[in-house]
Amino acid sequence: MEDVLVLKDHKTVPDIVHEYEPTLKFGHIPLVIDNGSYQCRVGWSINDEPNMIFKNLIARPRKDRCKKDAEPPVTPPIQIGNDIINIEAVRFQLKTQFDKNVVTHFEVQEQVCDYIFSHLGIDNEGCVPHPIVMTEAFVTPNYSRQLMSELLFEAYGVPAVSYGVDSLFSMYKNDIGDSALIVNCGYHTIHIIPVIKGKVFAEYARRINLGGSEIICYLHKLLQLKYPVHVNAITMSRIEEILHEHSSIALDYQEEIRKWASPDYYEANVKRIQLPFVQSTSSSGLTAEQQKERKKEMARRLLEINARKREERLAEDEEQLNQLLAIQDLIEDGDTDEFNEAIKGFDIKSYEDLQRQISNLNMRIEKNKQRIAAAANAEEMPEPKPSGRFQPPSDPEAFQVWLNDTRAKYREVVQRREARRARRAAMVRRRTAAAAERMRVISHLAAAGDDFGTRDSDWDVYKSISREADSDSEADGERLVELEEALREYEPQQPSNQHHQLHLAIEPFRAPELMFQPSMMGNLEAGLAETMEYVFKHFSPEDQLLLANNVFLTGGCSQFPGLKERLERELLEMRPFQSTHKVILAKNPSLDAWYGARDFAGSNEFENWCITKEEYYEMGGEYLKEHHASNKYYKSPAPIVDNTLAPAGDANVVKEEIVVDC
Amino acid sequence: MITECDKSYCFKVENKFIVKSGCKKRMWRSLKQILTAERALPWQNDAVLYFSINAPPTFKPTKKYSDISGLPAPYVDRHSKLYYSNVEEFATIRSLPMDITAGYLQLRGANMIVG
Repeated sequence: MEDVLVLKDHKTVPDIVHEYEPTLKFGHIPLVIDNGSYQCRVGWSINDEPNMIFKNLIARPRKDRCKKDAEPPVTPPIQIGNDIINIEAVRFQLKTQFDKNVVTHFEVQEQVCDYIFSHLGIDNEGCVPHPIVMTEAFVTPNYSRQLMSELLFEAYGVPAVSYGVDSLFSMYKNDIGDSALIVNCGYHTIHIIPVIKGKVFAEYARRINLGGSEIICYLHKLLQLKYPVHVNAITMSRIEEILHEHSSIALDYQEEIRKWASPDYYEANVKRIQLPFVQSTSSSGLTAEQQKERKKEMARRLLEINARKREERLAEDEEQLNQLLAIQDLIEDGDTDEFNEAIKGFDIKSYEDLQRQISNLNMRIEKNKQRIAAAANAEEMPEPKPSGRFQPPSDPEAFQVWLNDTRAKYREVVQRREARRARRAAMVRRRTAAAAERMRVISHLAAAGDDFGTRDSDWDVYKSISREADSDSEADGERLVELEEALREYEPQQPSNQHHQLHLAIEPFRAPELMFQPSMMGNLEAGLAETMEYVFKHFSPEDQLLLANNVFLTGGCSQFPGLKERLERELLEMRPFQSTHKVILAKNPSLDAWYGARDFAGSNEFENWCITKEEYYEMGGEYLKEHHASNKYYKSPAPIVDNTLAPAGDANVVKEEIVVDC
Repeated sequence: MITECDKSYCFKVENKFIVKSGCKKRMWRSLKQILTAERALPWQNDAVLYFSINAPPTFKPTKKYSDISGLPAPYVDRHSKLYYSNVEEFATIRSLPMDITAGYLQLRGANMIVG
């Protein structure tokens, strides 16, 4: 199979500024924002589709250095979301407001909000008069929500806000009943959330701190290590594309990798990904012959130019010499005045100086003449072909034989060298056969009679006991270089595009497998299946059955082909014999959270679930109105009034624990 | 803080968190710091917090895969500490430069300085 997959390198299209229609402007239409750590989806609750979908990233270009001009320093504009056309160009300037799946960097969040509201065309003075539905992470820390509310109410003057959890919105959107085990595979985390009869059992929910971004990083690093030559061509966005389009989850990972061990299977199934490459001039339609001609031509021209230059210089020098000699004549004639006059023009100080310059010139002229002569000789007889020993025959059949022969010789030398190296390595260590043999030879030598050394071959014995590299290996080394050169020159070249291909064998399975085996990247958390099993254990058998019959898969990373089947297999393994189970994949794993939030915003009860501005000022920023798709609100307790220095010590202890956790 | 040049969009009341260039930047707490602070509070017993729903540690023996090919790896190269699955891979591993072997170890999270 020779079909090569070509990377598309998707480009983003900058968002347009949407029209802010009067129905929107005066209708108090809720605005729905699914603020995910991968993408942000924004749209009006009366729309069928989100108006904007963009990556939740901003690129803040560094301030221009070396700009000390008169003009005031121009800060380059900040690019946000889809404004970033070429994400790789600004990879190191990217910022996100997220730390894992929680918003922590609110300056960036504010910039993203500016981007959202301005691109929706909102033009009201001093406020954004729309209730906002915003998604937040499952069990978001109150601190984060407090800052978000602060931002929305105080910077944008929104009338009301409602927060919900993306995976719960997605679940209600898919209408799968009120009991389910939600498996939400996100960009930074995987959540497993049990919901029974509409009640979210947050205390039994679990979060695996691993998601799409980790999978991308893993594959990125893996391929860069496999192809160190293409480090720069293997970009994050290309890896993302490979993961989106060519990866899947193996039904049985052990079985899958066992298959790949066979070379035949590898050959038949390996995926070849073509990296973009610049067609080098060597393969730009010119044959090797033509190239050689061209090279020769260039060399000749260079020689000509050099020769001409030399001759010009020679003529110049001779001219100057003549002048100086004339001046010398002047002084020999005793014409001091005229001499003084003349040397002023030549920047000469005295008679000695003049003499020195003359001798210098003479030398230069002599050298130049020699060079010209040498060049002329070289032209007469073109350089003898290098490495006469390894000239290939011209006849193609004989050439093939010669080539094979040379290759064999090359291998032989390499093998010999390897063997010698291994023997030397073994000799250094005690209790190896080689070391024992060496000792035997040495003792033999000691016992050898007076006739040792009469034959030349006697001396070879030292080669066999020497621990250093000997003359043999030097000779072989030289021969190796010669053979390598010959092979490099005459070996038929592979088409250069093949050098720019990535061969993906297990990798497209290996990277997503991280979800099930985080240990592959040194993460000691339990994998997806094991954590599900753990969550099940907290429920009565009846509830377990209820959950197992409604395992709901959502989130961007649940779109790996094969994930559903794999989960079914894992459930079959972990559930009691002959019990039933069912896995449901969300209709649109990435967007259902937004759709669900939109339906939520459109419902009649929506107003009851909103935190109004008055409530914000009364209850504080962390306040949350609970509803079926929200987190639970636990009011932050007042911090313990610190008695002397004890809390500081406490905090330190806690910090250490967390370090250990990750 | 609300000067004319500061306010960039008409719909905004004020720039809440965006600081003008040149002003002192506000330091944002990282998630870790937020969680530490959260943990230090005397929560009621039934409160479910961010750190309390971390996945349990795995109890299954971790499987070993060849670092370079991903095949099941029964062997460890004592020199570089890389896993490998067969003779050819061993030869490859031995020819790898240090930075690549270090990269593989880091990828597996096994590049502890200690040990």
